[in-house]
Amino acid sequence: MSPKLLTIPAAICLVALSAAAAGAQNPQQDPAERARNIARQLEQNARTLTLYDRQGKVISTIAEKHIFNQPTLSPDAARIALIKPDLEKETVDLWVYDIKTGTGVQITSNKPRENVQAPAWSPDGKYVAYVALRGSRYTIFRKPSDGSGAEETLYAHQGGPIVLTDWSLDGRYLSFYESDLAGSRLYLLPAEGDRTPIEAAKSEKEMLAARLSPDSRLLAYRSNETGRAEIWVRSVPAPGSQAKVDTWQLSTEGGYGMVWWKRDGQELFFFGPDRVVMSVQVKSGPGTFEFSKPRPMFKAPDSIPAQSNPGAFGSVSRDGERIVFSVPPLPPLRQLTVFDRQGKEVGRIGAPGLYVQPTVSPDGTKVAVMRADPQTGANDIWAFDIATGTGTPVTATPDGENAPVWFDNDRVAYVSMRANFASIYRKQWTGQGPEEQLFRYTSGAGMALTDFSPDKRFAMVDGGGIVLAIPLTGTDPLKREAVDFARSEFEAGAGRFSPDGRYVAFGSNDTNRFEVYVRPFDAKTGEAAGEMKWKISNEAGVVGGIVWRSDGRELFYHVNDNAAQELRIMAVDVSTTPEFKASAPRELFRVKGPLPGNPPQWKHITPDGQRFVFAVPRPATSTK
Amino acid sequence: MIRRLALSVCLAGLLAGSAVAHHNMSALFDFSQRFTTSGTLSKVDWRNPHIYLFVDVKNDKGQVETWSFEGPSPGFFRQRDVGKENFEASMQKSVKIEASRARDGSRSGLIREVTLADGRLVSLCPQNC
Repeated sequence: MSPKLLTIPAAICLVALSAAAAGAQNPQQDPAERARNIARQLEQNARTLTLYDRQGKVISTIAEKHIFNQPTLSPDAARIALIKPDLEKETVDLWVYDIKTGTGVQITSNKPRENVQAPAWSPDGKYVAYVALRGSRYTIFRKPSDGSGAEETLYAHQGGPIVLTDWSLDGRYLSFYESDLAGSRLYLLPAEGDRTPIEAAKSEKEMLAARLSPDSRLLAYRSNETGRAEIWVRSVPAPGSQAKVDTWQLSTEGGYGMVWWKRDGQELFFFGPDRVVMSVQVKSGPGTFEFSKPRPMFKAPDSIPAQSNPGAFGSVSRDGERIVFSVPPLPPLRQLTVFDRQGKEVGRIGAPGLYVQPTVSPDGTKVAVMRADPQTGANDIWAFDIATGTGTPVTATPDGENAPVWFDNDRVAYVSMRANFASIYRKQWTGQGPEEQLFRYTSGAGMALTDFSPDKRFAMVDGGGIVLAIPLTGTDPLKREAVDFARSEFEAGAGRFSPDGRYVAFGSNDTNRFEVYVRPFDAKTGEAAGEMKWKISNEAGVVGGIVWRSDGRELFYHVNDNAAQELRIMAVDVSTTPEFKASAPRELFRVKGPLPGNPPQWKHITPDGQRFVFAVPRPATSTK
Repeated sequence: MIRRLALSVCLAGLLAGSAVAHHNMSALFDFSQRFTTSGTLSKVDWRNPHIYLFVDVKNDKGQVETWSFEGPSPGFFRQRDVGKENFEASMQKSVKIEASRARDGSRSGLIREVTLADGRLVSLCPQNC
């Protein structure tokens, strides 16, 4: 993922929201199935608009649950502007809800794939301004907050994503920022007259959720310049002034956004560690500023992502007395559960947790898994002994690790994005000893590790719709270069080596639906050997989970049965000598879905093909 | 489908993951430096994770220079009912491209909008905007 996207979290969130809305409809999908999908998406993602006082007492919940995003309180705290998708129409629009009545007024009428984000209220509450992507331009509009009249274009931006953060108390300026590799810039946009943006602050560092104090002398924002997201304040010299810019770091334990000033400028608020809403008292004199230590006000619900995007889930009223959150449902805990070939549950591993992507070790005795910490949201790799259920953290970093694959019976490899580079690392499964970097990918590009060749001479990764083989030659991981194994106009991924290393099974949608294929592997080059390709699957809904049995005689994969909301576990008899042959696929069993995580990645079957490990939402169930 | 939301926010993009920008676009291209140019489409490289269009453009001195323009994955276009064939139909014909300029000053850009020879306008937002 590119830093541009990472540094504009609100924008990416809305892009994701647009994608969700757009993705809810598939013209070729059965209407009943589509309705079920929409209902399921709402059930899993609908958030409760909840109003709190500053002690954290719930004042009220507003309207029926929906996928509310960026709730922003009006100046009188009587209404909420927010972003809401319409899954039927595949659109995302700005709405204004009345807190007392719970009724909503639609402000924008976007087309599919347009988006809108970052609402800001005029000081009198008569207008709401917002950023919308129309055509190829991020444009700031305003419209009466009762939904009447036409929207008025205030400013069409020529560059990348921008985030509108505020409308000054005197009504004269709207403020917005942009942030990219060249740094961050906050602009003031005159609400009337010549609407040429005025650069108000500039930094080479990240400067997100930037909001000016009511007297425009200070700018509060979130930055990662210490290596962790924290809340900062900097002075804003008057236009033309040569005064130096002072900065203050307000938080030291983490600050994740939702930076709001009280109307009198004597208090500011932010979303702190462990979901605590924090308050900072501000004293200002002529040229002097004092900030108190952040004090906790109350803890927001556990279901709000601990390191959520700034402003995505909540806002604070101008008088500092009301806080609104759109509260998502708690993610269900998952139990690592072992099934036999008939789909009978035969064991459970450890306690339930936020697990995805279980990966079984080559000797079948251990399972590595991605685990999200419920308090911090950090993703680490854990390893469990299947027999005893004892879990051990393999990694414990703030960076986040994913895509675990066993290198051998003692070491787990995984991917982590650090300093803008995704790399493959490996480490002892006990978590002890140093971490070893095996490969570094292109700057800013994401990848997923899927396998190692049996002789350990190659790693295999998904590199953005392509399957790459990485020769693990030499001693310098930075000099290792990936080789295309499968690269075309269609997506390919989840490459898995046959146990004899002569073939690779992978998924591709080159027939406009995903299927499992096998191609010969050239161990000299890392490329596919020749043009031979065998299609293994023959049904719609293939989602990956491609695993070879260790004797090379059977191949497994998953198929989604959307109508039944079940995952079908498929098996194919194969032989690789003297040449590749495969039987017709057969269903072994079904597991009740939907299962969270990234199914294409699962390598969750014991080497003898007798045990299947899934991270299933509690209670664990299987059918058949 | 529903899974796209989850996939788009998790790093492991996997099979459907090329909807998210692949490499560091803002390292290579300056989004605040937008320019528009027209020329003859001379080559189409239609592969994951990014497509490339090559356009022969006349410079101020009347000399022809080949520019390369990068776009999203082919899957991005498929979702918008635009295919390789639409671009190939514009081969050796005039196209107009609006792009963000390369930071290294090379003759390349990141496409924001392209107008094909038949007048069809294809927006590459929000991916490239």
